[in-house]
Formats: sequence, structure tokens, C-alpha cells
Amino acid sequence: MSNAHQRPLRILLAKLGMDTHTVGITIIAHALREAGMEVIFTGLKQTPEMVAAAAIQEDVDVVGISTLSAGHTRNLPKLARLLREAGAGDKLLLAGGVIPEEDRPLLEEAGVDRTFTMGSDTRDIVAYLNEWWVQQLAADA
Amino acid sequence: MNNKVSRLNPKNTGQATTSEFDEEVARWESETRGPYVAAHPERREEFLTQALKWPINPLYTPADLEALGFDYKEDVGFPGEYPYTRGTGPNGHRSGFWTMTQVTGFGSGQSWSKRARYMLDQGLSGLILEYDLATTNGYDSDDPMVEGEVGRAGMALDSLEDLEEAFDLPFDQLKYLMSVCNAPQPVNLAMIIAALEKKGVDPKDFVLHIVNGILIEYTCVGRYIYPPEHGLRLATDCIEYIINNHPNWAPISIISAQLQPAKANPVQEIAFSLAIACAYIDATLERGFDIDTVAPYFHFVVNVDMDFFEGICKLRAFRKCWARLMRDRYGATKPEAMKIRMMTSPTTTALTLQQPLNNIGRLAIMATACSLGGAGENMTTPLHDEAHSLPAEEAIRVGAALQHIVAHETGVAETIDPLAGSYYVESLTKQMENAAFEEMDKIFDMGGALKAIETGYFQRALGREQYERNRDIEEGRRLWVGVNHLKLDEEKREISIFRLNDDMESEQVAKVRDLRARRDQALVDSTLEQVREAARNGSNMMESCLAAVKAYATHGEICYAMRDVFGEYGSDSQLGGI
Repeated sequence: MSNAHQRPLRILLAKLGMDTHTVGITIIAHALREAGMEVIFTGLKQTPEMVAAAAIQEDVDVVGISTLSAGHTRNLPKLARLLREAGAGDKLLLAGGVIPEEDRPLLEEAGVDRTFTMGSDTRDIVAYLNEWWVQQLAADA
Repeated sequence: MNNKVSRLNPKNTGQATTSEFDEEVARWESETRGPYVAAHPERREEFLTQALKWPINPLYTPADLEALGFDYKEDVGFPGEYPYTRGTGPNGHRSGFWTMTQVTGFGSGQSWSKRARYMLDQGLSGLILEYDLATTNGYDSDDPMVEGEVGRAGMALDSLEDLEEAFDLPFDQLKYLMSVCNAPQPVNLAMIIAALEKKGVDPKDFVLHIVNGILIEYTCVGRYIYPPEHGLRLATDCIEYIINNHPNWAPISIISAQLQPAKANPVQEIAFSLAIACAYIDATLERGFDIDTVAPYFHFVVNVDMDFFEGICKLRAFRKCWARLMRDRYGATKPEAMKIRMMTSPTTTALTLQQPLNNIGRLAIMATACSLGGAGENMTTPLHDEAHSLPAEEAIRVGAALQHIVAHETGVAETIDPLAGSYYVESLTKQMENAAFEEMDKIFDMGGALKAIETGYFQRALGREQYERNRDIEEGRRLWVGVNHLKLDEEKREISIFRLNDDMESEQVAKVRDLRARRDQALVDSTLEQVREAARNGSNMMESCLAAVKAYATHGEICYAMRDVFGEYGSDSQLGGI
């Protein structure tokens, strides 16, 4: 992340398991790309292992998981653990989709930095990421 | 798209027409409407249809129809006659209403039979069988890829044993079963045939309807296994097998209603659906059938969204486009081949999680649009609380009542195609037809639907629509009550999420492992080899799949045997949309 200020934010978007609802992740990908970010998509039907490997391989700053099929209480904590174990715990981990309020403490404790539920305005997500990126740049400078 | 449309709508290009109405319209503009609008500016800068974003004129007159070259006999005709714009039946809804149905969620695993019995006891004679994502993606319940998915989105199906249990049903009551298992379709079809045989059900006395819709899976749903060319071949095998062996069954549905939630606009819905139908038709004709035999087997499911006139005109244009396509592209001669078979439904994507009672109003409006658009043979209505939880009993009752209210109380079903002749409706119908044929030509020019899928054309087109229509809502160009208009600040929303039942999954895993331990493994191995051989040599897969399921080879094993030959399709068919 040493030359972070010279490049746009890189984000990996992914879907875990057999959940193939792609409208949300497609909208997010378009919005982030339009906001100048570099967006990489893993494809569908990924395991936490595959996503963690891709995040490291692609050297992204942020990992965003879209989940609409209730598997999030299992696969998101697993992904967070795999990233930490691989020394990639500094990557921002976001989750979006259908995530009930009562599951948020569990996810936060497991290492998910922020959740955006269905109906979130893409402009709020862009603003959040831009703010985080500015802080990273400041920390690196 | 917009350029083409404006070309089709001379009102937007200033192109002169010869109509006597033009002068009159110009006079009205300058003498009556113009001064009024100068004093009372319009409430928006531009008026557009919701999905297509086509400009809507303040007024439609005979001049608009004349400019489009509208001809009553050619464009509309009579009910029950080509081009079927006014309906495929000769008497609208006057002899009988459309069949009123409701799609109801099912429990999973062994509980399906119990739930199915309950529904049959309620007087239903047809059921829809949905499977979990492990099954529809071609895995057994104990495959590490599907941990946590077993029995969730539908029934877990690992072997013929599971279906034997599920089919513990009164088949004297059950006359119609729709099965939704697209990617592993020949395996699923073979299992159902084998299970019906075991139950002694006469296949002539029963209709099995397989959706067999793999091409839409690649486009926007995502439950695919093999590369598209092999997916198409497997679908064609099933169509061929059913026409030859069970001609009273239904071998294919094109679920346009899956393209709509993926934000296909009405023109894309018609064009993509029909181009996809053509891919199956072409492949089936190559097996030696003629179009008049094949075409009547095709069935469509079409959603209607909240833009009332877009919805109505889409249904009218759909019928007309199918008829024209069958007659002109394929040379069909029999009326049955040119009459589209259709089920219609209000879309769930118009419903909101916020203020759920508002959804009853939305459903009533969309069901009215379905009826005015001709309804098809069946109409199914979703329920107003669907975004919240499994439907409550009251929601089921309201959903059923809605269709009766439309049918009996509004009068819209008392005359045939009551909106025909409306200057706006006929203009929009004809514009949609023209634009759909332009779009189909584009798809045929690139090599057809299979190529459009392989190159990501469909997926990219849908991805753009998804993003743009979401922006319309975020930026307030489209007002949606409860979402970005008349919001309630303090609204408490409860989303009930289906919780995993780990017991069900471990029981299912134990069951399939137990089966593998006690069956005739040598027989399983030899039938799986037959599956691989058929996959390689191009013969119809059904015979080898039947042999394998009867030997109790598992669903996942047969799917893997085909993976050995076909390979697996990349995980990014929908990546085109991103």
C-alpha cells in the first residue's frame, strides 16, 4: 500500500456459495467503476478459500461480498479468518445484500468492517469508500 | 435504442405525415394546448415510459397510427386469428376466465410430500416442484461445494429414493406437475419418469411440465453447469424425448419473467425470449421434426411491471411477434403453431418491503393490466408480504381474491381486448413489435441466442439496464412510494430470514451416503459409463440417464459423469453484466 496515493482504490467483488442473485452486485460494480475505482469480479459460486486467494493475488484494498441467501453467518466469518491468517487482515471487508440486523454484531466481531443492506444508496457506498481511501492515503503519506 | 425508437415515432423527428389530423393537431397545439402549457408548465421535463424510457406524447390521435403505417387487419386482426394481437382465443374471457393460480413456496426434503398433500386437499390439481441449489447446480447433498445449501431453496434430490418418497401422493388428484431443474434436466426428467413408473402412474393421464430453461440460466439466473452449447444439447434431448414418448407432456417454458427482474425492458424481454426460443427450435428441427409439430410445445411465462401500458402492450406485442416469427421465419402453416401459449403474472420486483399493504394496490393494478393484455391461459399472483417472510394465510387469501376482483368486479374481462384501437395502445404495441424485430435481427446477425450468451451480449445489456434503472430511483426520476417518495421515517421493518436447519442437512447427507454403501456399485459404474458414452457420441442422453437413475446412481454422480465429457462452464457467465 506504499504507493496508494498514486492509484485508484482496487476492490474485489464476490459472491459466495450457490447464491446467484447478481442484480445488486452488478449495480454496485457499475457505480464504483463510474466513481473511478478499479473493480474486479470473481465470478459466481466461489468458496471463501477462492475469494481469499483472489483478494491476495489481485492485491486489492477492499473485498466486497454480496449475499442474498442466508449463508452469511457461516461464510463471511470464514472469509475474514482466512484473510487474517494469510496476513491480509488489513483489507477492508464489506458485506451487502440481505443481512438481518441481529446478525450484525456476529459479523462485526468476526471481522466484517461494514454491512450495507438491500436498498442502500450507491452514492452512500461510494462516499464511504472514498472517505476510507482518503484516510488510507493520509496514513500512508 | 433511443435513436431507433425516435425513428419509429415520427412525432419525435418532426417528419411530416400526410394525415389530415396533423393540421388539426397543430391547430390545437397552437390555439388550445400551447397557451395553457405556457401558463401552466408541465410537471416534468420529459414524460417517458418506465422501462423503455420512450417519450410519451401529450396526445395520441389517428395521425400517430397513420405515421406508423398501422393497418387494422394486418396489425390487429380478429381474436383467435393471425396475428393474434387481440388474443389467441376467439372469445377473450367471455367463455371462461384465465386459470387462476398461485405459486406457493414449498418446504424441503421429505416434507414436500406432506405439503403437497395439504395443497391437493385444498382443491389444487397441479403443483410446482422446486429443488435446492445443490440439486439445480448438479451436486449431491454431501458435496463440499454446497455446504449449508441443502434443502433450503427447495427439495433436496440426491437419488430416485428421494423422489419415491416425495411422490407418496394421491395421483388420482395430482394431474399436473411442473419441475424446475434446468441445468441437470435429463437427469431430473429421468428420475421423475422412473419414480412415476414405480408408482404405477399412467403417463397419459398426467402432465409433466419441465421448464428446461437452461439458456435463461446463463443469461441472468446462474444455475448452469456445462458450457452453453452442451446445455442447449441437453435441453434439446429432453424436448425430443418428450415429443417422441410423452406427446401430452410439456417439454419447455421460456421464462421471460426471469429476464424482467434482471431488468430486461419489454423490447429486450420479447426479443431475448423469442431469440432463445429460436435456439431451441432450430436445435429441435435439426432432429427431424417440422415446425408445425414443434412450435405448439413452446410455452412462455411473462411478468407485467407497474407501467400499465408498457405491460399491456408487451403482452399484445408478444403474441404478434411469436405469430409473425413462426409464420415468416419458419414457414409454420398451422394456427396452433402461431398461437403463443402464455402464463402471465404481476411482477414481484414492483413490490416494496416498505409499507407492505401498498403492495395490494400494486398487485391489483398489475393483475388488471395482465387481464387487459389478454392474461394468457393462466395468471398467477405473488403476495403482498413476500418481501417480508413466508406468506401469511391472510396474504394468500388476499392474493386469491385479487384475481376474482379483477375478473368479476371491474368489467375489464367482459369484452375481448377492450383497449384495441386506443391510439396510444396501438402505437406502443406496434413500436414494441418493430423494435423487438430490430433487436431480434441484431441477435440473429450475431449468430443467435447461443452466441449472444457466449459473447456476453445479453448479460451486458441487462447489466446496463440494472444500473440505469437503479439510478432513476436513487436520483428521483422515478418515484416509488415507500422507497423514495412518501417514506415513513420511523418505519420498523422486519425481515424474516429463513434459518438453516442443520439437522435436515446432516440427515440428507447421511441418507445419500447410506445409499451409496448398499446399492449395486458395479451396476452404477457401468451405467455412469453409458452416460459418458452417450455424452461423447451425441446420442440422446435420456436412455443412459434412465438406466443410471434406476441403478440408483445419484443425481450428483450423473452430473459429474457429464462434467467429465462436457467440462464445466466458467463461473462468470453473468460477468458480462459487470
